[in-house]
Amino acid sequence: MKYCRSFLSLILIAIPALFWSFSVHGQSSDPIKVGANIGNVPWEFQDTNGDYVGFEIELVNEIGKRLGREVDIMNVPFNGLFAATQSGRIDMAISSIAITETRLQSASFAQPYYDSDQSLTVRVGNGISSLEDLRGQIIAVDTGATGDMWATENQEKYGFSEIRRYEGLAPAMLDLTIGRIQGYISDIPAMQYYAKDKPGLQVAERIKTGGSYSIMMGKNTPLSTQVNDVISTLKQEGFINALHEKWFGAPAEATTSTVKVVDMPGVRDGLILNFVETFLNTQVFLDTYPMLIMGLMTTIQLGVLSIFSGLVLGLILALARLYASPAVKFVVKAYIDIFRSIPLLVLLIVIFYALPFVGLSLSPFYAAATALTVVSGAYTAEIFRAGIEAIPKGQFEASEALGLGYRHMMSDIILPQAIKIVIPPLTNNCINVIKDTALASVVAMPDLLKQATQAQAVAANPTPLIAAAVIYVIFLLPLVLWVSRLENKFKVGDR
Amino acid sequence: MTALIKLENVTKHYGNFQALKDVNLDVEEGEVVCVIGPSGSGKSTMIRCINLLEQYDNTGIITVDGIQVQKGKNLKNVRAEVGMVFQNFNLFPHLSILKNVMLAPMRIRGISKEDAKKRALELLNKVGIGEQADKFPAQLSGGQQQRVAIARALAMEPKVLLFDEPTSALDPEMVGEVLEVIQALAHSGVTMIVVTHEMGFARQVANRVIFMDEGQIVEQGSPSDIFDNPQEIRTQNFLKAVLNH
Repeated sequence: MKYCRSFLSLILIAIPALFWSFSVHGQSSDPIKVGANIGNVPWEFQDTNGDYVGFEIELVNEIGKRLGREVDIMNVPFNGLFAATQSGRIDMAISSIAITETRLQSASFAQPYYDSDQSLTVRVGNGISSLEDLRGQIIAVDTGATGDMWATENQEKYGFSEIRRYEGLAPAMLDLTIGRIQGYISDIPAMQYYAKDKPGLQVAERIKTGGSYSIMMGKNTPLSTQVNDVISTLKQEGFINALHEKWFGAPAEATTSTVKVVDMPGVRDGLILNFVETFLNTQVFLDTYPMLIMGLMTTIQLGVLSIFSGLVLGLILALARLYASPAVKFVVKAYIDIFRSIPLLVLLIVIFYALPFVGLSLSPFYAAATALTVVSGAYTAEIFRAGIEAIPKGQFEASEALGLGYRHMMSDIILPQAIKIVIPPLTNNCINVIKDTALASVVAMPDLLKQATQAQAVAANPTPLIAAAVIYVIFLLPLVLWVSRLENKFKVGDR
Repeated sequence: MTALIKLENVTKHYGNFQALKDVNLDVEEGEVVCVIGPSGSGKSTMIRCINLLEQYDNTGIITVDGIQVQKGKNLKNVRAEVGMVFQNFNLFPHLSILKNVMLAPMRIRGISKEDAKKRALELLNKVGIGEQADKFPAQLSGGQQQRVAIARALAMEPKVLLFDEPTSALDPEMVGEVLEVIQALAHSGVTMIVVTHEMGFARQVANRVIFMDEGQIVEQGSPSDIFDNPQEIRTQNFLKAVLNH
């Protein structure tokens, strides 16, 4: 797990996108590639057989049939849908995507087929039944989704103490159940569907945002008008309302966009979708820059705390592993081996979501710091051990023969020499810890990468991700150079 | 009066190999003892048992100034009274020459930095490298490093100094300068046990010469006893081999 997952997914999306944008795509005989955030009930999710099912799945399959093309559905996280659509990696995106002005600048939408509002979901019996009760409380949203935008705009009005941003429904619901968050703001149909069979949860309030959902496609592509026409037909045939009845238990009202044929939303001027405008957009960068800097601060705080406590822990473990009694040695060795092989992401989830059940509920920051420290400590312990073992035996004997005690032998003789040996591997570990802070986004920590992900969803443009990558480099490069200098300085004493 | 250093029935096993066999030895205060013998005869092992760098078998007893040498609270005190000079110098490479000498008195005797420095400079002058005090070990020649190591051991004002083949790792032209320093010390009345292959040096400075072979003390006596009139056949063979080559 030393390679950061989120970095990887960024590269996986961005690099092929680069090549895709130069290749010919959208041939009418090819299958239609559809990106969907699987798990978004009841729109697109997996049934017990592992098949993709849901309102929008049935809709795109029908659209494909009408256009005489096969439909190829792939699972893309919500935040990846925008870059994937703009780069042509996918032909269309579904995931109850709300049509917004900003999104229309970089993509086309077919006419809407569902009118939605946001909703507040709470835990039954915790005394919160409306938005007014949430003053001073922590609420949760999905990163970059309509609920996120609404909550950010209305944070002051309702006095939410904090907005935590999650990647998907499941972790947010877990935290709502534990009581770590007091409310969850998200699309009302999904929440009604989800809460239907969960007596502990309740959709407490409808938040009128007036959003409507549709299929997102590449800006001004021929496919977008074709799909729009098919949707008109399907509405007239009553197909879409039948889907509504199937998935929501009742037909939609005649005035809603589920029934009525409406105009295709016109795209907005603004972004010309070439490579530079898509990935290196100056305006988007300037708009999202403050968010990224906030994220960077969180990343630095988390990184520095974890590195420092990991060093202390690692040193103690290394000394115990080398010099303690056999029983302690065994335990320490087991600790080191286990935490070097456990994926950090899993540990993070266990610490954050499982420990509350035994009464230990850590904030996202301290949960992330704990996970990073525990793993970093295991790695640094091995680095220190190797460093100490590289010190010649004669140094220990000379110290002992002089009568130096263990403490002075370590602090005056052995460790100062070991430090020089361990600085290069320790630096690599520090850099890894800083990159691994990005994994903290699974516990709703607003670190740099999380902020960038959110910014790219709001702006419907992947520039913030590139900017985040550049910030990581700018931030880590001096560290690398500084340590090289330090190494050279240390060498003088050995001359 | 009991001897300053006393070894009684000391044996040492490495697994099945017996490195020391029932060694008995008394060293009086002020005595200079040279230990000679072929490689692997247990010379180094014996003196390394005296400050417990090697753990001897629990059937024997070693005492220094009446205190038994064993693991525990007293070990640090014993070691502070027993200085050691190693074949490979074992200076601390990250510390200057001066700090190599200052460290132990400050940490163990608790003397002030100023006093430690003053004393260290005196000792470095005494071994002839006062001008190099601010250099690091790797900047000195082998002979100079070994003289620093002697000064470092002396800084603790030990009751006894152990030398473990102090010239064996040196280039031949540097052996003399180190032996001169040790010789001067011998004349100053410090108690010393010197494991050495330098027969001429042993004859000159020792009050007593011990010949060891196969983990045992085979023969001991004054330099003239051992070198001019060895009684044991093993001693005679050894001396014939080293003196005639």
